[in-house]
Amino acid sequence: MSSLVLTGVGKRFGGLQAVSPFDMEIARGKITGLIGPNGAGKTTVVNLITGVYKLSQGSIRFGDIDLTEATRHEVARAGLARTYQTIRLLPDATVVANVMIGMYRHQRASLLSQLFALPSSRAETARFRDEVFHLLERFGMTRYAEYPAGALSYGDQRRVEMMRALALKPEVLLLDEPVAGINEVEAAKLGDIFRALATEGKGMAVLLIEHNMRFVTNLCDYVYVLDSGTLISQGSAEQVVNDPVVVKAYLGDDEDA
Amino acid sequence: MMNFFAPHLPLLDLIFVGTGYALSQAIVFRAGTFSVATSGFAAVGAYAAAILTVKHGFHPAAGVAVGTLLGLLCGLLLSVPLARLRGVYQAIASLAFVEIVVAFILFFEELTGGPLGFHNIPRAATTWTLFLAMLATMALLILLGKGGIGRAFDAIRQDPPVAASLGVNPTKYHVLSFALSGAIAGLFGGLDAMRNFSLTAEQFGFAILIGTLSAVVLGGRRSVMGPLVGTTILVLLPEIFRPLADYRQAIYGLLLVVVMAFLPFGVYDTIIMKLHNRRLARAGMLLPPKAAS
Repeated sequence: MSSLVLTGVGKRFGGLQAVSPFDMEIARGKITGLIGPNGAGKTTVVNLITGVYKLSQGSIRFGDIDLTEATRHEVARAGLARTYQTIRLLPDATVVANVMIGMYRHQRASLLSQLFALPSSRAETARFRDEVFHLLERFGMTRYAEYPAGALSYGDQRRVEMMRALALKPEVLLLDEPVAGINEVEAAKLGDIFRALATEGKGMAVLLIEHNMRFVTNLCDYVYVLDSGTLISQGSAEQVVNDPVVVKAYLGDDEDA
Repeated sequence: MMNFFAPHLPLLDLIFVGTGYALSQAIVFRAGTFSVATSGFAAVGAYAAAILTVKHGFHPAAGVAVGTLLGLLCGLLLSVPLARLRGVYQAIASLAFVEIVVAFILFFEELTGGPLGFHNIPRAATTWTLFLAMLATMALLILLGKGGIGRAFDAIRQDPPVAASLGVNPTKYHVLSFALSGAIAGLFGGLDAMRNFSLTAEQFGFAILIGTLSAVVLGGRRSVMGPLVGTTILVLLPEIFRPLADYRQAIYGLLLVVVMAFLPFGVYDTIIMKLHNRRLARAGMLLPPKAAS
Protein backbone atom coordinates (compact mmCIF):
# COMPACT_ATOMS: atom_id res chain seq x y z
CA MET A 1 0.00 0.00 0.00
CA SER A 2 1.94 3.00 -1.21
CA SER A 3 0.90 6.39 0.01
CA LEU A 4 1.95 9.85 -1.06
CA VAL A 5 4.21 11.12 1.70
CA LEU A 6 5.23 14.76 2.14
CA THR A 7 8.08 15.35 4.58
CA GLY A 8 8.93 18.85 5.80
CA VAL A 9 7.53 20.39 2.62
CA GLY A 10 7.60 24.18 2.55
CA LYS A 11 7.51 27.01 0.01
CA ARG A 12 9.01 30.47 0.07
CA PHE A 13 8.21 33.12 -2.53
CA GLY A 14 11.13 35.51 -2.19
CA GLY A 15 11.14 36.52 1.48
CA LEU A 16 7.59 35.32 2.10
CA GLN A 17 7.13 31.88 3.65
CA ALA A 18 3.92 30.95 1.80
CA VAL A 19 3.76 27.46 3.32
CA SER A 20 5.70 26.58 6.45
CA PRO A 21 7.31 23.13 6.48
CA PHE A 22 4.74 20.44 7.25
CA ASP A 23 4.29 16.67 7.00
CA MET A 24 1.36 15.01 5.29
CA GLU A 25 0.36 11.52 4.26
CA ILE A 26 -2.23 10.87 1.61
CA ALA A 27 -3.05 7.22 2.10
CA ARG A 28 -4.33 4.81 -0.51
CA GLY A 29 -7.92 3.71 -0.01
CA LYS A 30 -8.70 6.81 2.04
CA ILE A 31 -10.06 10.26 1.41
CA THR A 32 -7.77 12.83 2.98
CA GLY A 33 -9.15 16.34 3.45
CA LEU A 34 -7.28 19.61 3.29
CA ILE A 35 -9.24 22.57 4.58
CA GLY A 36 -8.52 26.14 5.56
CA PRO A 37 -9.79 29.66 5.00
CA ASN A 38 -9.21 31.54 1.75
CA GLY A 39 -5.55 32.19 1.07
CA ALA A 40 -4.44 29.53 3.55
CA GLY A 41 -2.19 27.95 0.91
CA LYS A 42 -4.27 24.90 0.00
CA THR A 43 -3.86 25.23 -3.75
CA THR A 44 -0.16 25.99 -3.22
CA VAL A 45 0.14 22.56 -1.61
CA VAL A 46 -1.40 20.93 -4.71
CA ASN A 47 0.92 22.95 -6.93
CA LEU A 48 3.91 21.78 -4.88
CA ILE A 49 2.85 18.15 -5.15
CA THR A 50 2.23 18.32 -8.90
CA GLY A 51 5.51 20.03 -9.81
CA VAL A 52 4.01 23.40 -10.75
CA TYR A 53 6.15 25.01 -8.02
CA LYS A 54 9.57 23.86 -6.94
CA LEU A 55 9.84 22.94 -3.27
CA SER A 56 11.86 25.32 -1.07
CA GLN A 57 12.21 22.69 1.63
CA GLY A 58 11.42 19.04 2.23
CA SER A 59 10.72 16.06 0.00
CA ILE A 60 7.84 14.19 -1.60
CA ARG A 61 7.79 10.43 -2.08
CA PHE A 62 5.24 8.17 -3.71
CA GLY A 63 6.08 4.57 -2.91
CA ASP A 64 9.55 4.06 -4.34
CA ILE A 65 9.39 7.16 -6.52
CA ASP A 66 10.99 10.41 -5.40
CA LEU A 67 8.84 13.27 -6.70
CA THR A 68 10.74 16.08 -4.97
CA GLU A 69 12.28 17.40 -8.17
CA ALA A 70 9.77 15.99 -10.66
CA THR A 71 8.30 18.14 -13.43
CA ARG A 72 4.57 18.26 -14.09
CA HIS A 73 4.47 15.57 -16.72
CA GLU A 74 6.72 13.27 -14.67
CA VAL A 75 4.30 13.64 -11.75
CA ALA A 76 1.41 12.73 -14.02
CA ARG A 77 3.26 9.73 -15.44
CA ALA A 78 3.93 8.53 -11.88
CA GLY A 79 0.16 8.29 -11.43
CA LEU A 80 -0.95 11.56 -9.84
CA ALA A 81 -3.91 13.36 -11.38
CA ARG A 82 -5.45 16.66 -10.39
CA THR A 83 -8.42 18.89 -11.07
CA TYR A 84 -8.30 22.67 -10.92
CA GLN A 85 -10.05 25.11 -8.64
CA THR A 86 -11.05 27.13 -11.69
CA ILE A 87 -12.04 24.70 -14.42
CA ARG A 88 -9.40 24.26 -17.11
CA LEU A 89 -10.72 22.35 -20.08
CA LEU A 90 -9.78 22.63 -23.73
CA PRO A 91 -12.88 24.67 -24.53
CA ASP A 92 -13.01 24.13 -28.31
CA ALA A 93 -12.35 20.40 -28.16
CA THR A 94 -15.23 17.97 -27.76
CA VAL A 95 -15.93 16.28 -24.44
CA VAL A 96 -14.52 13.02 -25.81
CA ALA A 97 -11.35 14.74 -27.02
CA ASN A 98 -10.88 16.39 -23.63
CA VAL A 99 -11.13 13.12 -21.76
CA MET A 100 -9.03 11.28 -24.37
CA ILE A 101 -6.02 13.42 -23.52
CA GLY A 102 -6.16 11.97 -20.04
CA MET A 103 -5.44 8.55 -21.57
CA TYR A 104 -2.01 9.80 -22.65
CA ARG A 105 -0.29 8.08 -19.73
CA HIS A 106 -1.36 4.69 -21.08
CA GLN A 107 -0.17 5.31 -24.61
CA ARG A 108 2.24 2.58 -25.73
CA ALA A 109 2.22 2.87 -29.52
CA SER A 110 5.61 3.96 -30.87
CA LEU A 111 6.11 7.40 -32.36
CA LEU A 112 6.53 5.84 -35.81
CA SER A 113 3.31 3.90 -35.44
CA GLN A 114 1.54 7.11 -34.43
CA LEU A 115 3.05 9.13 -37.29
CA PHE A 116 1.65 6.78 -39.91
CA ALA A 117 -1.43 5.65 -37.97
CA LEU A 118 -0.31 2.03 -38.13
CA PRO A 119 -2.72 -0.63 -36.85
CA SER A 120 -1.18 -0.68 -33.35
CA SER A 121 -1.77 3.06 -32.95
CA ARG A 122 -5.28 2.87 -34.39
CA ALA A 123 -6.23 -0.06 -32.14
CA GLU A 124 -4.98 1.90 -29.16
CA THR A 125 -7.02 4.96 -30.08
CA ALA A 126 -10.12 2.78 -30.49
CA ARG A 127 -9.53 1.18 -27.09
CA PHE A 128 -9.07 4.59 -25.45
CA ARG A 129 -12.33 5.74 -27.02
CA ASP A 130 -14.15 2.78 -25.51
CA GLU A 131 -12.73 3.52 -22.09
CA VAL A 132 -13.66 7.18 -22.40
CA PHE A 133 -17.26 6.21 -23.19
CA HIS A 134 -17.33 4.01 -20.09
CA LEU A 135 -16.32 7.04 -18.04
CA LEU A 136 -18.94 9.17 -19.77
CA GLU A 137 -21.53 6.58 -18.84
CA ARG A 138 -20.46 6.55 -15.22
CA PHE A 139 -20.88 10.31 -15.01
CA GLY A 140 -24.09 10.33 -17.09
CA MET A 141 -22.50 12.44 -19.82
CA THR A 142 -22.80 10.18 -22.88
CA ARG A 143 -25.18 12.52 -24.70
CA TYR A 144 -22.64 15.35 -24.60
CA ALA A 145 -19.82 13.23 -26.05
CA GLU A 146 -19.39 15.26 -29.26
CA TYR A 147 -20.23 18.58 -27.67
CA PRO A 148 -17.57 21.30 -27.39
CA ALA A 149 -16.57 21.27 -23.72
CA GLY A 150 -16.64 25.05 -23.40
CA ALA A 151 -20.35 25.17 -24.18
CA LEU A 152 -21.41 22.90 -21.30
CA SER A 153 -22.91 24.13 -18.05
CA TYR A 154 -20.59 24.74 -15.13
CA GLY A 155 -21.43 21.51 -13.32
CA ASP A 156 -20.98 19.44 -16.46
CA GLN A 157 -17.61 21.08 -17.13
CA ARG A 158 -16.55 20.02 -13.63
CA ARG A 159 -17.57 16.47 -14.49
CA VAL A 160 -15.55 16.55 -17.70
CA GLU A 161 -12.51 17.72 -15.76
CA MET A 162 -13.01 14.92 -13.27
CA MET A 163 -13.35 12.33 -16.04
CA ARG A 164 -10.17 13.64 -17.64
CA ALA A 165 -8.29 13.16 -14.37
CA LEU A 166 -9.76 9.67 -13.99
CA ALA A 167 -8.76 8.74 -17.55
CA LEU A 168 -5.17 8.70 -16.27
CA LYS A 169 -6.28 5.83 -14.02
CA PRO A 170 -4.36 7.62 -11.30
CA GLU A 171 -3.22 6.15 -8.04
CA VAL A 172 -3.43 9.53 -6.37
CA LEU A 173 -6.28 11.91 -7.16
CA LEU A 174 -5.97 15.54 -6.09
CA LEU A 175 -9.29 17.37 -6.16
CA ASP A 176 -9.12 21.14 -5.77
CA GLU A 177 -12.60 22.25 -4.61
CA PRO A 178 -14.42 19.78 -6.86
CA VAL A 179 -17.94 20.70 -5.70
CA ALA A 180 -17.56 24.48 -5.63
CA GLY A 181 -20.64 25.96 -7.28
CA ILE A 182 -22.48 22.64 -7.44
CA ASN A 183 -25.77 22.16 -5.56
CA GLU A 184 -25.96 19.83 -2.59
CA VAL A 185 -27.79 16.97 -4.28
CA GLU A 186 -25.28 16.87 -7.13
CA ALA A 187 -22.39 17.30 -4.67
CA ALA A 188 -23.59 14.30 -2.68
CA LYS A 189 -23.62 12.23 -5.87
CA LEU A 190 -20.05 13.26 -6.59
CA GLY A 191 -19.17 12.45 -2.99
CA ASP A 192 -20.41 8.89 -3.54
CA ILE A 193 -18.20 8.64 -6.62
CA PHE A 194 -15.14 9.87 -4.66
CA ARG A 195 -15.85 7.32 -1.93
CA ALA A 196 -16.11 4.58 -4.53
CA LEU A 197 -12.85 5.66 -6.16
CA ALA A 198 -11.01 5.45 -2.85
CA THR A 199 -12.36 2.05 -1.87
CA GLU A 200 -13.11 0.18 -5.13
CA GLY A 201 -10.53 -2.23 -6.54
CA LYS A 202 -6.98 -1.33 -5.61
CA GLY A 203 -8.26 1.98 -4.32
CA MET A 204 -6.94 5.45 -4.93
CA ALA A 205 -5.41 7.90 -2.53
CA VAL A 206 -7.75 10.89 -2.71
CA LEU A 207 -6.88 14.39 -1.51
CA LEU A 208 -9.93 16.61 -1.23
CA ILE A 209 -9.47 20.35 -0.90
CA GLU A 210 -12.71 21.89 0.17
CA HIS A 211 -14.48 24.86 1.69
CA ASN A 212 -17.77 23.12 2.35
CA MET A 213 -17.36 21.83 5.92
CA ARG A 214 -20.31 19.50 5.87
CA PHE A 215 -19.05 17.86 2.70
CA VAL A 216 -15.61 17.36 4.27
CA THR A 217 -16.85 15.98 7.58
CA ASN A 218 -19.15 13.52 5.84
CA LEU A 219 -16.55 12.27 3.43
CA CYS A 220 -13.01 12.51 4.76
CA ASP A 221 -11.21 9.84 6.76
CA TYR A 222 -8.49 12.22 7.87
CA VAL A 223 -8.32 16.00 7.72
CA TYR A 224 -5.48 18.53 7.69
CA VAL A 225 -6.18 22.18 8.49
CA LEU A 226 -4.08 24.94 7.00
CA ASP A 227 -4.18 28.57 8.10
CA SER A 228 -1.93 31.31 6.67
CA GLY A 229 0.41 28.66 5.28
CA THR A 230 0.79 26.82 8.59
CA LEU A 231 -0.59 23.42 9.48
CA ILE A 232 -2.61 24.12 12.62
CA SER A 233 -4.45 20.86 13.17
CA GLN A 234 -4.98 17.33 11.90
CA GLY A 235 -6.99 14.27 12.83
CA SER A 236 -10.35 12.72 12.11
CA ALA A 237 -13.01 15.07 10.79
CA GLU A 238 -14.72 15.08 14.19
CA GLN A 239 -11.52 15.88 16.11
CA VAL A 240 -10.62 18.69 13.76
CA VAL A 241 -14.03 20.34 13.78
CA ASN A 242 -14.01 20.40 17.56
CA ASP A 243 -10.42 21.59 17.87
CA PRO A 244 -10.60 25.07 19.45
CA VAL A 245 -7.65 26.29 17.33
CA VAL A 246 -9.53 25.37 14.16
CA VAL A 247 -12.77 26.86 15.36
CA LYS A 248 -10.96 30.12 16.09
CA ALA A 249 -8.95 30.26 12.86
CA TYR A 250 -11.35 28.79 10.39
CA LEU A 251 -14.87 28.97 11.65
CA GLY A 252 -14.56 32.14 13.72
CA ASP A 253 -17.61 32.68 15.92
CA ASP A 254 -20.06 31.71 13.21
CA GLU A 255 -21.19 28.17 13.96
CA ASP A 256 -22.68 27.34 10.56
CA ALA A 257 -19.77 28.46 8.40
CA MET B 1 -8.34 17.35 -71.22
CA MET B 2 -4.65 18.11 -70.75
CA ASN B 3 -4.95 20.73 -73.49
CA PHE B 4 -7.45 22.61 -71.43
CA PHE B 5 -5.20 22.56 -68.38
CA ALA B 6 -1.93 23.20 -70.16
CA PRO B 7 -1.95 27.01 -69.98
CA HIS B 8 -2.85 26.79 -66.31
CA LEU B 9 -0.24 24.26 -65.24
CA PRO B 10 2.06 26.91 -63.73
CA LEU B 11 -0.84 27.94 -61.50
CA LEU B 12 -1.31 24.35 -60.36
CA ASP B 13 2.43 24.16 -59.61
CA LEU B 14 2.11 27.28 -57.46
CA ILE B 15 -0.87 25.83 -55.61
CA PHE B 16 0.84 22.51 -54.87
CA VAL B 17 4.13 24.01 -53.70
CA GLY B 18 2.36 26.78 -51.79
CA THR B 19 0.16 24.21 -50.04
CA GLY B 20 3.31 22.31 -49.04
CA TYR B 21 4.72 25.45 -47.43
CA ALA B 22 1.38 26.20 -45.78
CA LEU B 23 1.23 22.65 -44.34
CA SER B 24 4.70 23.17 -42.87
CA GLN B 25 3.41 26.36 -41.25
CA ALA B 26 0.16 24.76 -40.08
CA ILE B 27 1.91 21.94 -38.23
CA VAL B 28 3.75 24.29 -35.87
CA PHE B 29 0.53 26.26 -35.34
CA ARG B 30 -1.27 23.04 -34.49
CA ALA B 31 1.34 22.34 -31.80
CA GLY B 32 0.78 25.82 -30.38
CA THR B 33 4.02 27.36 -31.58
CA PHE B 34 4.03 30.79 -33.17
CA SER B 35 6.96 30.23 -35.49
CA VAL B 36 7.33 31.68 -38.99
CA ALA B 37 10.50 29.73 -39.79
CA THR B 38 8.95 27.84 -42.72
CA SER B 39 10.43 30.08 -45.43
CA GLY B 40 13.88 29.71 -43.82
CA PHE B 41 13.60 25.90 -43.90
CA ALA B 42 12.36 26.16 -47.49
CA ALA B 43 15.38 28.25 -48.47
CA VAL B 44 17.73 25.69 -46.96
CA GLY B 45 15.98 22.84 -48.81
CA ALA B 46 15.82 24.74 -52.10
CA TYR B 47 19.45 25.86 -52.19
CA ALA B 48 20.75 22.51 -50.98
CA ALA B 49 18.85 20.66 -53.70
CA ALA B 50 19.86 23.14 -56.40
CA ILE B 51 23.55 23.29 -55.45
CA LEU B 52 23.91 19.52 -55.16
CA THR B 53 22.17 18.90 -58.47
CA VAL B 54 23.84 21.59 -60.55
CA LYS B 55 27.34 21.73 -59.05
CA HIS B 56 27.86 18.21 -57.75
CA GLY B 57 25.96 16.17 -60.28
CA PHE B 58 23.45 14.70 -57.83
CA HIS B 59 20.29 13.17 -59.23
CA PRO B 60 17.55 15.78 -58.67
CA ALA B 61 15.64 13.36 -56.40
CA ALA B 62 18.74 12.83 -54.27
CA GLY B 63 19.24 16.59 -54.09
CA VAL B 64 15.66 17.09 -52.91
CA ALA B 65 16.09 14.26 -50.37
CA VAL B 66 19.18 15.93 -48.90
CA GLY B 67 17.31 19.25 -48.86
CA THR B 68 14.49 17.58 -46.92
CA LEU B 69 16.96 16.15 -44.40
CA LEU B 70 18.68 19.50 -43.97
CA GLY B 71 15.29 21.16 -43.42
CA LEU B 72 14.54 18.56 -40.74
CA LEU B 73 17.92 19.18 -39.13
CA CYS B 74 17.36 22.96 -39.09
CA GLY B 75 13.95 22.34 -37.49
CA LEU B 76 15.53 20.25 -34.76
CA LEU B 77 18.26 22.83 -34.10
CA LEU B 78 15.87 25.78 -34.09
CA SER B 79 13.44 24.04 -31.74
CA VAL B 80 15.99 24.17 -28.91
CA PRO B 81 16.17 27.96 -28.48
CA LEU B 82 12.50 28.43 -29.45
CA ALA B 83 11.29 25.99 -26.79
CA ARG B 84 12.28 28.57 -24.18
CA LEU B 85 10.13 31.30 -25.76
CA ARG B 86 6.41 31.89 -26.03
CA GLY B 87 4.02 33.58 -28.44
CA VAL B 88 5.25 36.73 -30.14
CA TYR B 89 8.83 36.17 -28.93
CA GLN B 90 8.88 32.90 -30.85
CA ALA B 91 7.66 34.76 -33.92
CA ILE B 92 10.47 37.32 -33.62
CA ALA B 93 13.14 34.68 -33.01
CA SER B 94 11.99 32.55 -35.96
CA LEU B 95 11.86 35.65 -38.14
CA ALA B 96 15.48 36.26 -37.17
CA PHE B 97 16.27 32.71 -38.30
CA VAL B 98 14.76 33.44 -41.72
CA GLU B 99 16.81 36.65 -41.99
CA ILE B 100 19.97 34.76 -41.06
CA VAL B 101 19.36 32.18 -43.77
CA VAL B 102 18.70 34.89 -46.35
CA ALA B 103 21.82 36.82 -45.28
CA PHE B 104 23.86 33.62 -45.48
CA ILE B 105 22.68 32.99 -49.04
CA LEU B 106 23.52 36.56 -50.08
CA PHE B 107 26.96 36.40 -48.44
CA PHE B 108 28.31 33.08 -49.72
CA GLU B 109 28.25 34.11 -53.36
CA GLU B 110 30.48 31.33 -54.68
CA LEU B 111 28.19 28.67 -53.33
CA THR B 112 24.78 30.28 -53.80
CA GLY B 113 25.20 32.89 -56.51
CA GLY B 114 24.55 35.58 -53.90
CA PRO B 115 22.37 38.55 -54.90
CA LEU B 116 22.41 37.49 -58.56
CA GLY B 117 20.55 34.32 -57.76
CA PHE B 118 21.18 30.67 -58.60
CA HIS B 119 20.33 29.63 -62.14
CA ASN B 120 20.24 26.81 -64.67
CA ILE B 121 18.49 24.37 -62.38
CA PRO B 122 17.00 21.47 -64.37
CA ARG B 123 13.23 21.38 -64.42
CA ALA B 124 13.00 17.96 -62.84
CA ALA B 125 9.75 18.33 -60.89
CA THR B 126 6.66 17.91 -63.03
CA THR B 127 3.22 19.06 -61.98
CA TRP B 128 2.45 15.44 -61.15
CA THR B 129 5.48 15.18 -58.87
CA LEU B 130 4.38 18.28 -56.99
CA PHE B 131 0.81 17.02 -56.76
CA LEU B 132 1.89 13.65 -55.38
CA ALA B 133 4.25 15.28 -52.87
CA MET B 134 1.40 17.47 -51.65
CA LEU B 135 -0.98 14.51 -51.41
CA ALA B 136 1.58 12.43 -49.51
CA THR B 137 2.23 15.26 -47.05
CA MET B 138 -1.48 15.82 -46.50
CA ALA B 139 -1.98 12.09 -45.95
CA LEU B 140 0.83 12.01 -43.39
CA LEU B 141 -0.62 14.96 -41.48
CA ILE B 142 -4.12 13.47 -41.53
CA LEU B 143 -2.78 10.16 -40.23
CA LEU B 144 -0.68 11.64 -37.44
CA GLY B 145 -3.60 13.89 -36.48
CA LYS B 146 -5.77 10.88 -35.76
CA GLY B 147 -3.60 9.34 -33.07
CA GLY B 148 -1.77 10.29 -29.93
CA ILE B 149 0.41 12.91 -31.63
CA GLY B 150 -2.63 14.87 -32.77
CA ARG B 151 -4.15 14.69 -29.29
CA ALA B 152 -0.91 15.85 -27.70
CA PHE B 153 -0.56 18.75 -30.18
CA ASP B 154 -4.14 19.86 -29.50
CA ALA B 155 -3.63 19.75 -25.75
CA ILE B 156 -0.36 21.68 -25.85
CA ARG B 157 -1.81 24.33 -28.17
CA GLN B 158 -4.83 25.01 -26.00
CA ASP B 159 -3.35 24.80 -22.50
CA PRO B 160 0.31 23.81 -22.03
CA PRO B 161 0.20 23.52 -18.20
CA VAL B 162 -2.88 21.29 -18.31
CA ALA B 163 -1.30 19.16 -21.04
CA ALA B 164 1.76 18.71 -18.83
CA SER B 165 -0.37 17.85 -15.81
CA LEU B 166 -1.87 15.02 -17.88
CA GLY B 167 1.57 13.60 -18.61
CA VAL B 168 2.28 15.19 -22.00
CA ASN B 169 5.90 16.34 -22.24
CA PRO B 170 5.58 19.71 -24.02
CA THR B 171 9.24 19.84 -25.13
CA LYS B 172 9.01 16.48 -26.91
CA TYR B 173 6.06 17.55 -29.07
CA HIS B 174 7.49 20.99 -29.61
CA VAL B 175 10.64 19.41 -31.06
CA LEU B 176 8.57 16.96 -33.12
CA SER B 177 6.47 19.72 -34.66
CA PHE B 178 9.60 21.65 -35.66
CA ALA B 179 11.25 18.58 -37.14
CA LEU B 180 8.13 17.88 -39.23
CA SER B 181 7.77 21.52 -40.23
CA GLY B 182 11.44 21.68 -41.25
CA ALA B 183 11.29 18.46 -43.26
CA ILE B 184 8.09 19.44 -45.09
CA ALA B 185 9.39 22.94 -45.90
CA GLY B 186 12.77 21.48 -46.96
CA LEU B 187 11.02 19.02 -49.27
CA PHE B 188 8.86 21.64 -50.97
CA GLY B 189 11.77 24.08 -51.08
CA GLY B 190 13.73 21.47 -53.01
CA LEU B 191 10.77 20.79 -55.32
CA ASP B 192 10.29 24.53 -55.79
CA ALA B 193 13.91 24.79 -56.96
CA MET B 194 13.38 21.93 -59.41
CA ARG B 195 10.35 23.68 -60.89
CA ASN B 196 11.50 27.24 -61.28
CA PHE B 197 14.89 27.07 -63.13
CA SER B 198 16.33 29.69 -60.75
CA LEU B 199 16.32 30.81 -57.10
CA THR B 200 16.83 34.15 -55.45
CA ALA B 201 17.41 34.80 -51.77
CA GLU B 202 14.69 37.48 -51.61
CA GLN B 203 11.87 35.13 -52.56
CA PHE B 204 12.46 33.30 -49.27
CA GLY B 205 12.30 36.51 -47.27
CA PHE B 206 8.93 38.14 -46.97
CA ALA B 207 7.30 36.77 -50.12
CA ILE B 208 6.99 33.13 -49.02
CA LEU B 209 6.68 34.04 -45.35
CA ILE B 210 3.67 36.32 -45.81
CA GLY B 211 2.12 34.15 -48.52
CA THR B 212 2.31 31.08 -46.31
CA LEU B 213 0.92 32.82 -43.24
CA SER B 214 -1.95 34.30 -45.27
CA ALA B 215 -2.80 30.93 -46.79
CA VAL B 216 -3.07 29.30 -43.36
CA VAL B 217 -5.10 32.15 -41.86
CA LEU B 218 -7.38 32.29 -44.89
CA GLY B 219 -7.94 28.56 -45.30
CA GLY B 220 -7.86 27.32 -41.72
CA ARG B 221 -5.27 26.50 -39.10
CA ARG B 222 -6.54 23.23 -37.70
CA SER B 223 -7.55 21.05 -40.59
CA VAL B 224 -5.22 19.62 -43.19
CA MET B 225 -7.52 20.85 -45.98
CA GLY B 226 -7.36 24.45 -44.73
CA PRO B 227 -3.89 25.21 -46.14
CA LEU B 228 -4.91 23.79 -49.55
CA VAL B 229 -8.08 25.90 -49.64
CA GLY B 230 -6.21 29.03 -48.51
CA THR B 231 -3.38 28.58 -50.99
CA THR B 232 -5.79 27.91 -53.85
CA ILE B 233 -7.71 31.10 -53.11
CA LEU B 234 -4.51 33.13 -52.88
CA VAL B 235 -3.11 31.77 -56.15
CA LEU B 236 -6.34 32.10 -58.13
CA LEU B 237 -7.52 35.48 -56.83
CA PRO B 238 -4.95 37.59 -58.68
CA GLU B 239 -5.95 35.79 -61.89
CA ILE B 240 -9.64 36.35 -61.33
CA PHE B 241 -9.11 39.98 -60.45
CA ARG B 242 -6.72 40.56 -63.31
CA PRO B 243 -9.11 43.05 -64.99
CA LEU B 244 -8.93 45.20 -61.86
CA ALA B 245 -5.23 45.72 -62.55
CA ASP B 246 -3.90 48.20 -60.02
CA TYR B 247 -6.58 47.47 -57.44
CA ARG B 248 -5.57 43.81 -57.13
CA GLN B 249 -3.41 44.27 -54.07
CA ALA B 250 -6.08 46.35 -52.37
CA ILE B 251 -8.72 43.68 -53.02
CA TYR B 252 -6.33 41.05 -51.73
CA GLY B 253 -5.75 42.95 -48.48
CA LEU B 254 -9.43 43.69 -48.05
CA LEU B 255 -10.31 40.03 -48.50
CA LEU B 256 -7.85 38.97 -45.78
CA VAL B 257 -9.31 41.49 -43.34
CA VAL B 258 -12.88 40.42 -44.14
CA VAL B 259 -12.07 36.74 -43.69
CA MET B 260 -10.30 37.34 -40.38
CA ALA B 261 -13.22 39.41 -39.12
CA PHE B 262 -16.05 37.11 -40.19
CA LEU B 263 -14.45 33.68 -40.54
CA PRO B 264 -11.89 33.79 -37.72
CA PHE B 265 -11.02 30.11 -38.10
CA GLY B 266 -10.47 30.39 -41.86
CA VAL B 267 -12.79 29.53 -44.73
CA TYR B 268 -12.54 25.74 -44.55
CA ASP B 269 -12.41 25.27 -40.77
CA THR B 270 -15.39 27.57 -40.21
CA ILE B 271 -17.50 25.61 -42.70
CA ILE B 272 -16.53 22.30 -41.08
CA MET B 273 -17.40 23.66 -37.65
CA LYS B 274 -20.81 24.89 -38.85
CA LEU B 275 -21.55 21.48 -40.39
CA HIS B 276 -20.53 19.74 -37.15
CA ASN B 277 -22.85 21.97 -35.13
CA ARG B 278 -25.70 21.37 -37.54
CA ARG B 279 -25.20 17.62 -37.21
CA LEU B 280 -25.32 17.90 -33.43
CA ALA B 281 -28.47 20.00 -33.65
CA ARG B 282 -30.13 17.47 -35.90
CA ALA B 283 -29.27 14.67 -33.49
CA GLY B 284 -31.02 16.73 -30.79
CA MET B 285 -27.78 17.26 -28.93
CA LEU B 286 -27.64 21.01 -29.27
CA LEU B 287 -29.75 21.97 -26.27
CA PRO B 288 -29.53 25.49 -24.95
CA PRO B 289 -26.10 24.76 -23.45
CA LYS B 290 -26.21 26.58 -20.12
CA ALA B 291 -29.55 25.01 -19.22
CA ALA B 292 -28.39 21.52 -20.07
CA SER B 293 -27.78 20.29 -16.53
